[in-house]
Amino acid sequence: MKREANKSLLDKFCTDFCKIIEKHTDYIIVSGFLAVASGRPRGTEDIDMIIPRINFDKFEKLHKDLIKSGFVCMQSGNPKNIYKLYLKDNLSVRYTYKDKPLPEMEIKFAKDALDEYQLKTKTKLKLTGLDVWFGSINMNIAFKEEYLKSEKDLEDARHLRIVYGRMVNESEINEIKKMIRRLRL
Amino acid sequence: MNQRMESVEKWAFFVKNNPKKWKKIHTEFINSQFKKSDDFIKRLLNQKDGIKKILELYHIENMRGYLGLFKK
Repeated sequence: MKREANKSLLDKFCTDFCKIIEKHTDYIIVSGFLAVASGRPRGTEDIDMIIPRINFDKFEKLHKDLIKSGFVCMQSGNPKNIYKLYLKDNLSVRYTYKDKPLPEMEIKFAKDALDEYQLKTKTKLKLTGLDVWFGSINMNIAFKEEYLKSEKDLEDARHLRIVYGRMVNESEINEIKKMIRRLRL
Repeated sequence: MNQRMESVEKWAFFVKNNPKKWKKIHTEFINSQFKKSDDFIKRLLNQKDGIKKILELYHIENMRGYLGLFKK
């Protein structure tokens, strides 16, 4: 009960959303929100989610369940458009609570072996107090240090390295960085 | 190391060493940001062309999903 009271609006939004998604498919939360949920005191208005590449029928059911549960897609109310104009082409779509433009959940399909590896190595993080699946700590550190590299991302990576201490595995991070160089740079 | 990174590290060690204290402080910080955003949206809605500004600012293409906000 006390733990519930300590949840931020962002925590609640993420948990509500993931409860619907997990009924239909696998997912992971990655990047900024992982750092924020792990205690980084910085602003973020969106949460990034990766899901496996699912077919239209499966997506339509997922979308309808989200709508029934009080969410809307910012780009379109038509699942066919969302699927064909965005997701199918590896473009992200954003969902929010109905009538509230913030916060946003930005969803995209897994687009390469790196995303599939992220889904395969998903983890729950006790420190966050959230019962949702995250991309691994090592994966997120590698992405922030090797691919994203902004001041904010390097600060996120430093924060993650400190708060997760023993979970940080340098040899895995280096392997992931090699994959990033091969597949994304 | 620059000053910003020093403060990042200082807070990270606080989180690591105070598992029962950091969350309350952090939640208040995050929630205050959303309160500010909500207040900003309300102020914008009271302006001329407020709805148009919100649609542009948040890249909302599905206006029907937000009709309740615009009716307030």
